[in-house]
Amino acid sequence: MTRADIVVLVLALALLPMLYVKFWHHGAAGDEVRIMVDGKPWQVVSLKHDRRVTVHGALGDSVLEIKHGAVRFIASPCPSKYCIHSGWLHDGGEFTACLPNRVSIEVIGARARYDAINF
Amino acid sequence: MSSVRTSLTTALVATVLTVALSACGPRPDPVHKEQILAMGTMVNITLWGVDNDVAQKAFTAANQDFNYMQTAYHPWKPGPMGRTNQLLALDAWFSANPSVLPLIKRAKALYHASDGLFNPAIGRLIGLWGFHSDTLPKGPPPSKAAIERLVAQHPTMDDIQIKGIRVRSTNPAVQLDTGGFAKGYAVDRVIDHLRRLGVSNAIVDAGGDLRAIGSHGGEPWHIGIRDPSAPGILAEVDVKGDESVFTSGVYERFYMYKGKRYHHIIDPRTGYPARGTTSATVIGSDGATSDAAATALLIAGPKLWHRVAESMGIKYAMLVASDGTVYMNPAMAKRMHFEHKPPKVVLSAPL
Amino acid sequence: MELSVQPTRADHRIAWLTALAITIHIAESALPNPLPGVKPGLANVVTIAVLCLYGWRMAAWVSLLRVLVGSLLLGTFLSPTFVLSLTGALCSITTLGAAHLLGARLPGAGFGPVGFSLLAAMAHVAGQFYCAYWLFIPHAALFTLLPVLMSMAVVLGVINGIITRTMLQRVTP
Repeated sequence: MTRADIVVLVLALALLPMLYVKFWHHGAAGDEVRIMVDGKPWQVVSLKHDRRVTVHGALGDSVLEIKHGAVRFIASPCPSKYCIHSGWLHDGGEFTACLPNRVSIEVIGARARYDAINF
Repeated sequence: MSSVRTSLTTALVATVLTVALSACGPRPDPVHKEQILAMGTMVNITLWGVDNDVAQKAFTAANQDFNYMQTAYHPWKPGPMGRTNQLLALDAWFSANPSVLPLIKRAKALYHASDGLFNPAIGRLIGLWGFHSDTLPKGPPPSKAAIERLVAQHPTMDDIQIKGIRVRSTNPAVQLDTGGFAKGYAVDRVIDHLRRLGVSNAIVDAGGDLRAIGSHGGEPWHIGIRDPSAPGILAEVDVKGDESVFTSGVYERFYMYKGKRYHHIIDPRTGYPARGTTSATVIGSDGATSDAAATALLIAGPKLWHRVAESMGIKYAMLVASDGTVYMNPAMAKRMHFEHKPPKVVLSAPL
Repeated sequence: MELSVQPTRADHRIAWLTALAITIHIAESALPNPLPGVKPGLANVVTIAVLCLYGWRMAAWVSLLRVLVGSLLLGTFLSPTFVLSLTGALCSITTLGAAHLLGARLPGAGFGPVGFSLLAAMAHVAGQFYCAYWLFIPHAALFTLLPVLMSMAVVLGVINGIITRTMLQRVTP
């Protein structure tokens, strides 16, 4: 092996632990979304397939959109639209809720990025 | 041929290293989660490192506690706090229900520490605005005259006198609305209960109000703090041991009327929703103090928050002003990992 | 009209070496795949050997022809597999070119087969990975695979490098 070979190998070996730390430390994007209605689990939906899910809540229908491994509220019969403003959720542990309609969603995955969301 | 040996050794080391690293992959995590609807919010409880039986017991206990406290501390529905409010209006000594007495005592102390900005005695004002109810008001906002009348009566926690279990109010305008505080107090009670059941790693998260004990398998708990004005997470903060993270935000409860926004955090000095700040986050030891402090700091705003945090004994505080500027003390800045860089950060003197 | 092509010595050499690389490429595709996305990449042994023996231009020809003809023979031409293969080959050949240029300026002997092979393998995986992420699976969860794929690339890159070197030691006196 030449000197340059050894330098490249050492650099490569140094890079690997960094990759593990970067991509495995925080857990990662979630695989599924748990939908709760009235505090009870209603359905667990995979984030792998793009689709829309209509959830019947206390006030009416909340509509969720699943796309590219993320989920968001796109319609909800609440006055503040807080849930819609939460935007896309993709990391494990991300959570949002439509309180008036009693619908909440949480992304679940291997190790959640967040253990809790302060909102 | 020694260089062949060298490279073979290197390859072997690389293989061993890779296999060793691959073994650190995600493992099933002994996490239990439960959601409870109580106190006007969704309470998420996370437990780590207990078996199923303990987890179920803990969830049942938490559920009962929250349901009990939701009734006990509701300001006007029939129950201990509702009854206390009726009696406070009578200007005479009465025996307070033992479930509300400690809450009132804590509220008095925190009222003083916050320079009167955390003032749960303004229940009438909250009622006038309509934010006491479970459903959001639609407007119109109350008249200027009605607001000024109630502010002039100046109800404070000082008007409430306590002797043993006997309580009276010297100001008939005093009505307790512990909205900005009862959740924190309830979170504390539930954490105590979980500890008695043998849970040492848990998060009790009542919306913006959470207390975390222990750790997530030795790693700190990762808490995401919502961005008050944009979708997504503003920052992450890691907590370990026993800490509370409380956020008060004007986006939690509000209504629009003729294009104007009216939110639920009423400034006791003016009688109107607090202005200038969109959210206040506090990391503290117990939930009750942190809850009251988050409310008080939001009302205090960018000019006064530091003084109020100091007198309430808060070590970590962050304010997000209406223009997006983030105010915090240096110790808080060290703990906040921002997801997006805030437009402007103003560091205060240390707390 | 008659079109006559006069193949040069170099053309013959490219053809033979490409044929060898394609044979390895196809033989490898018949092997069972324990981990998706992980292949021994033995065909790269030919690319690296060509690089060391005949220079970068020839290695680029062999590498790109191998991807093109290999996909035609396997019936994956213009399919996602082909796009990934081509991206990988382009990235590794570009990296090899840079390393070749750089190596000539370095003190000592520049890069040897092990260094070239390791760089090529890592560039190949990195290129394929980002291509897969942007074009086919734009899901952040894909990134959890990157450390594993990169680890395999390092191991296999070194092994292929050693194979190449042993081979070169036999063909060059």
